[in-house]
Amino acid sequence: MTSPDEKDIESLVELFNQSDWDEMHLKTDTLEIFLSNDPHASGPAQSTATALSSTVGESAAQPIGSSAAAESPAEPGSPAVTEVAEGLLAVRAPNLGTFYRAPKPGAPAYVEVGQLVEADTEVCLIEVMKLFTPVRAGNAGTVREICIADGQMVEFGQLLVTIEPQT
Amino acid sequence: MSLKRVLVANRGEIAVRIIRAAQTLGIETVQVVSDADRDSLAAEIADRTVVIGPAQSRLSYLDPKLLMHAAIQTQCDALHPGYGFLSERAELANLCSEHDVTFVGPAADTIDALGDKLRARAIASDAGVPLVPGTNSIADVEQAKLAAEEIGFPVVTKASAGGGGRGMFIARNYDDLVASFDKASAEAEEAFGDGTLYMERFVGNARHVEVQVLGDGQGQVIHFGERDCSTQRRYQKVVEEAPCAIMPADARRRLHSAAVNLLSKLNYRNAGTVEFLYDVDTNEIYFIEVNTRIQVEHPVSEQVTGADLVQLQFKVAGGEPVDFNQDHVHINRHAIECRINAEDASNNFMPSPGRITTWRPPRGAGIRIDSHCRDGYLVPPFYDSMIGKLIVTANDRDAAVERMSAALDEFEINGITTNLPILRHIVKHPDFKANAISTRWLEQHVLADFQQ
Repeated sequence: MTSPDEKDIESLVELFNQSDWDEMHLKTDTLEIFLSNDPHASGPAQSTATALSSTVGESAAQPIGSSAAAESPAEPGSPAVTEVAEGLLAVRAPNLGTFYRAPKPGAPAYVEVGQLVEADTEVCLIEVMKLFTPVRAGNAGTVREICIADGQMVEFGQLLVTIEPQT
Repeated sequence: MSLKRVLVANRGEIAVRIIRAAQTLGIETVQVVSDADRDSLAAEIADRTVVIGPAQSRLSYLDPKLLMHAAIQTQCDALHPGYGFLSERAELANLCSEHDVTFVGPAADTIDALGDKLRARAIASDAGVPLVPGTNSIADVEQAKLAAEEIGFPVVTKASAGGGGRGMFIARNYDDLVASFDKASAEAEEAFGDGTLYMERFVGNARHVEVQVLGDGQGQVIHFGERDCSTQRRYQKVVEEAPCAIMPADARRRLHSAAVNLLSKLNYRNAGTVEFLYDVDTNEIYFIEVNTRIQVEHPVSEQVTGADLVQLQFKVAGGEPVDFNQDHVHINRHAIECRINAEDASNNFMPSPGRITTWRPPRGAGIRIDSHCRDGYLVPPFYDSMIGKLIVTANDRDAAVERMSAALDEFEINGITTNLPILRHIVKHPDFKANAISTRWLEQHVLADFQQ
């Protein structure tokens, strides 16, 4: 069996989500995947979540007390959803988490301003409690702005990256 | 107060209630909201608000990891879970302790022990608390038939893994039991992921009474009297009051000491509620379950005792001992609460979310409103339909019923359909005024007529 690529894994997760299965465990020469609907599932020793977290390691730990944002309470009312400029498309945070530009500390960033991307190009990572989820561009085009600094907390719907679509 | 900053991991009126209690104690508040609650009152009055996910609860309020991440990133040293959502999930309490965040609730193993209804029965039994004659887990309908013969019909099936009426069926004879057993198990499986059932004798003329308790985890367990929540529909409370006015003093003493004994055994920390059935005909009390969170109906106990139970939750969570004793708790008034829901009682209680164009609650002496609503508020379709609680207090039950009746008449809500009409009907009903009701009264004697 050839090694599955990212699209295969996405398809597997999609199928799993739509199924009524409780668990799925797949192992090949190069890859092992364990999917479960049970948040307590211990699963095989190397679950996807732990495997991913070990690659990023220490960068996940935010020093307590360093975040200026928490010290100065936000304006009353709800956090605004930033609008993007005319002609640009937004890539927004799928949930609250910590924003990372690179797959691990010191590695090159997923994308830089000016770079051409496809719809399925990964542009950043969002981390929630050591679980790292890549965020994709969603549209083909040119990266125009990266709106968040590496390691910052982002909220649901927050603008992460703007893309100028191909014409 | 040792706690500095709390993450409010809930929404609606209880989020507002928690924020106000925290502010009084000088604790900073971080409110987590879903996309649908960006403009909520809680978001407005909290010191800081973070949007954690989309509207669906599963992807926001029900995701323990998201809540934990938000708490750590905003440097909270405490998390208040409110009621519902994750308030009785040991997983969240465990996550909190792993990350040195104080969970405003009991220890995780207490939640586990009391959350499993069969284990809770065993603990109650050890503490000398009376139980309805019943069984341990039952494997199949054959075993159920044998057990029913032993405890005597009518019986009621219950889910081991949770309450709320799921998996509950009353059987008056073998045929009923055969017809409902598998259905009950399937319902429990669907609701809790565990189809395990047990059975109890069904008490017909019963009142639902519950004792409000507070433990500091340092040896003190104090009660704040009992509440009577017998006005129910499908095991959901509709009207609650304190005290239970029909209960004789001897039964009340047994009730209170049973509740305190039970939680003392566990060295309980947090506000908690021990629920009982009160058999009016025999004057016996029977343990049902313990809820290890603040409850929706806590204000009636606050009104008759003067305590602020949410502030007390913060204090004991922060490690302070309770600095008063049982002799300081006096109950000499009567309070009633009506749950105001966005639902249409004349159409099978269909939820009716939408925009509230007018929100004009009653005002005056003895009236308390706990709500997150206001003019122009959009009741989102994603969550529970409760939009507020109307609580009245007076010198005795008759005066409180009178006051509630007038307050409900004055309450004006436009733009959405609410349950105000059925609440007005209930409190004006001769049986309710005479306090001659049971847990089955609303469904059997009121709703059938009202829905005509």
